[in-house]
Amino acid sequence: MNVKHDNELGARIDRELKSLPLLAAPPTLAPRVMALVASRALAPWYRRAWQTWPVALQAASLVVLLAMFGGLCFAGWQLSHAASATLAAQKVGGAFSVVSAVWRTLGVLGDSAAQVIRHLGSGFIWALVALGLIGYTLLLGLGSCCYRLAYTRR
Amino acid sequence: MTDAQQFEAFLKNYQDLVFSTAMRLLANRAEAEDVTQEVFLKAYERFGELSETSTAGGWLRTVATNLSLNHLTRYRSRWSFFSELFSRNAGDDEEMPLEFAAPENVEETLAAADRRTLVEQALHKLPPAQRVPLVLYHMEGLSYEEIATKLGVSLGKVKTDIFRGREALRQKLAPIKESALDIMA
Repeated sequence: MNVKHDNELGARIDRELKSLPLLAAPPTLAPRVMALVASRALAPWYRRAWQTWPVALQAASLVVLLAMFGGLCFAGWQLSHAASATLAAQKVGGAFSVVSAVWRTLGVLGDSAAQVIRHLGSGFIWALVALGLIGYTLLLGLGSCCYRLAYTRR
Repeated sequence: MTDAQQFEAFLKNYQDLVFSTAMRLLANRAEAEDVTQEVFLKAYERFGELSETSTAGGWLRTVATNLSLNHLTRYRSRWSFFSELFSRNAGDDEEMPLEFAAPENVEETLAAADRRTLVEQALHKLPPAQRVPLVLYHMEGLSYEEIATKLGVSLGKVKTDIFRGREALRQKLAPIKESALDIMA
């Protein structure tokens, strides 16, 4: 392959592709788009894209959002400086005590499971693992077969 | 003329352009139709601006290109693994009948129409890795650098893919070299 050949081929392909006429869009396209446009036009303003809202509503929503953001910032600042901050921290700690109780319960369950495993012996456990793996492989194979049956083009 | 009527006229004016852009990038009629629909729904949201500008065609083409590329990277890659299990080996490359927009010149010969159909079909049969940069370069007028940026690949890969695409197209069209196509030197 030489540069001259490449350039020539590039130029000819370019000419050929550029000369291709437009493809005709399917006749169903325009009615489909117009139906969607009509359904969008009928939708209430709050279900449409923000850009399509009336200008007054856009301005109002912007003001509300800015006010909410400002309020949130102010509330955060107030909270961090309030005398009741320690009280709030205690409340949060109380909520986390539930989590630690759940953790303790899980620990007890884990210990029990470990004792059961020790009693049953490792052979039984390995057999269970192997059974699980075989089941999983069978499921995967069956899933692939179903997929092929369902999607193979006829 | 109501807004809806104006938009319908706009849609009918540009639908072939948008559909062609999507179809040549995706090489799939149903997907191209979906992308075209999405492009026009976006256009509807900005119809106020688009109806007054002379660059509406360019805007539509850019949006169609970007949405098609998004479609190729986001959606198609998800199921390509499964679909390629069947489609490549099964020989089920469907010969989709291609319809061209009505020619302005009614005296256009049948031979020319056949040739264009063959070129179009050959283009659609190229793998996406070759077809997409080839279409972006030759039909959308993007530079190698712009294509590399859009596709998120290296400049070298773009050049290689375009080169391979041209060669593959030449080989696919070799049987009709006797006709007016005459790509082979």
